[in-house]
Amino acid sequence: MKKIVVSSVTLFWLLGFAPGGAGAFQEEGTLRIGGMWALSGPAAYIGSSSKGLSALAVDEINEAGGVMVRGKRVKIVQSVYDDACKAEEGLTVVRRLADSDKVLFSLGPTCSSVAEPVFGILQKRLGDATDTGLQFLFFTDTAIKFGLAKISPWAFRNVGNEPAMFDLAFKLVKEKYPELKTVAVAYESDFAHSVSTWKGATEPAVKKYGYEVLDVVEWRFEDTEFGAQAAKLRKTNADILVMMTHTFTTCGAVKEFKRQRVKAKLMVGITSAASTETLVGCGQAVEGLIIPTNFAAISPKAKALADKAWAKYKADANLHSVPAYENVHAIRGIVEKVGIKNEPATLLEDRRKVRDALAGLGTFQGVIGPIKMNGDDDPVKPRDVDKAIILVQAKGGQWTVFWQPPELEKK
Amino acid sequence: MAETLLDIIQQSINGLMYGAFYALIGIGFTLFFGVMKKFNLAYGPTIMAGIYLGLIPLYRWKAPMWVVFVTCVAGAVVVGFIVELACFRYLRKGHELAPLMTTVGMLILIQETVVIVTHAAPYEYPNIFGDESLEVGPFLIRPDYLAILISGLVFVVLLYLLVQRTAFGRAMRAIAENPAVAQLLGVSVSRMNRLTFALTSALGGATGYLVAMTFGALQPGIASWMTIKGLVVIVIGGLGSIPGAICAGLLLGVVEFQALWFLGVGYRDILAYLLLFAFLVLRPSGLMGRPAT
Repeated sequence: MKKIVVSSVTLFWLLGFAPGGAGAFQEEGTLRIGGMWALSGPAAYIGSSSKGLSALAVDEINEAGGVMVRGKRVKIVQSVYDDACKAEEGLTVVRRLADSDKVLFSLGPTCSSVAEPVFGILQKRLGDATDTGLQFLFFTDTAIKFGLAKISPWAFRNVGNEPAMFDLAFKLVKEKYPELKTVAVAYESDFAHSVSTWKGATEPAVKKYGYEVLDVVEWRFEDTEFGAQAAKLRKTNADILVMMTHTFTTCGAVKEFKRQRVKAKLMVGITSAASTETLVGCGQAVEGLIIPTNFAAISPKAKALADKAWAKYKADANLHSVPAYENVHAIRGIVEKVGIKNEPATLLEDRRKVRDALAGLGTFQGVIGPIKMNGDDDPVKPRDVDKAIILVQAKGGQWTVFWQPPELEKK
Repeated sequence: MAETLLDIIQQSINGLMYGAFYALIGIGFTLFFGVMKKFNLAYGPTIMAGIYLGLIPLYRWKAPMWVVFVTCVAGAVVVGFIVELACFRYLRKGHELAPLMTTVGMLILIQETVVIVTHAAPYEYPNIFGDESLEVGPFLIRPDYLAILISGLVFVVLLYLLVQRTAFGRAMRAIAENPAVAQLLGVSVSRMNRLTFALTSALGGATGYLVAMTFGALQPGIASWMTIKGLVVIVIGGLGSIPGAICAGLLLGVVEFQALWFLGVGYRDILAYLLLFAFLVLRPSGLMGRPAT
């Protein structure tokens, strides 16, 4: 019996359930941060890139000596977990990051359908002892569904503002192609981001700029056959195809469109599809596709980052993954500024300090331009960012800039 | 009215051609079950692994598509052999559910290995039939789907000849009928099991190549898709019945396409599973399976 107990405890320890020891943190010269993304399952291609870009930021900081905490340079150690884009996995992982790994904050998650329940278990009322929600800081890079950061004051996001992105996209399309009047839409009815982008961001923009919606077709996130939907879209003869679908189904669908002679004059895609995976997976079939995004390799710095991320981690630099890189650097700056203690006993206090500093951060430097963090009191988008929107277009197997803000152009 | 009729015919054509996929996947599952009386839930991932292995010569050396096809088939056979070794050969007899669990484990293992290696990024799979549909009167016919239908017929004929006209087929049928008696008559059950794995995996590799080509882009989720469709087909068709798998595959294809066209994507899956449910309740032996004794 004794043997079984000893073996179980040892196994438990070896499996990584060991709690943070007293000698950890500042004493051992480390600063613990976390990351939870979809690293398996159908959204893994998105999560893997975020993981790669965050690792790149950690490498850069550590190679430069580390983070200055209480007069001593400490190295960042990152605990990374796979939530597989599943809410139940996410809820397990967040507990582990907060209580077992005792990280200061976490990046991720990838999927909005995970972020929603995970943010739901965070504390809702700061400093209220009766609110027993988890006091754990998230600085999310990917989960993009509008309004998620409103769930808890511990949730911050550096993600695109899709209503603004699609508003701009259709405004510019209207200006450039005034002859286009009608749209037909496709979205993935079982994927939270796809549904919310269509209903919360794209549909209002389409209506605002006076486009007539001729038909809306649906398919599933993992569907592989699009014959019936393509036939319906062909019948509409719409000027613009609005593809609120992710890379895998977009690739299959656009090839089917070509077969069925769906002849739209323009295609507008979902933000997440502005990635190398789309170009590799879809090939020529996405030629001309326009997508609003927050990242494109438009400057030497951005290009160098994209090349380095690919060379070192086979990670694609895109609007979801680059914020992971930016967030790690931003937190480093905050930690050095606010002076955390970096001890297990002061972890909650440290998290709160960093949270408050993040809420009051204002503008910080992103890879392609400045990023403005909205504070707790922002009436529309508390703890979400405002940043430059770029429109990219697939041309000759590459993403080219369709439009960028004049201030970025000058750079 | 005329337009609705044209739509029904068009979707029936699409459904029949697409149903050929389901039939081919179902035949693989049903061969396993017929000979070994066990479910192999790692069959979908075996096919998927074969397809991904086929990508290696394509992306590394820009190999022609026939090389990709051969690699798919050979890759699936190799992975099938590993599945047989790990999930069936050394399992104790008498534990009926053990292979079910080991193959579920293998399903996850293969799928996640591919996810890790490929970062789950979609890979373009060239379609040798091009991106144009054939116009036959008012109907559009996808040449790759047509090729699958024709290939499916060829595979079925070859399989029929193999099962009905060769010593291997006789041994296979003998084991399917009564493994104990077959063994007494000198048929090596373990050897036949290995050969059945090789045969079904090769069929799976060939089917997988066609599937990947028609999808246009490949990602690891197709392993689960193939497993689910394969299981639905063999239940509707009747466990162990090859003609049943063919009819069930085609039926499922037509039902799905009509549901998709007239009712939308949500009802497509509901109707497909209602069909499965109806068979389980009203005709558990399936379209052509033997009633349980």
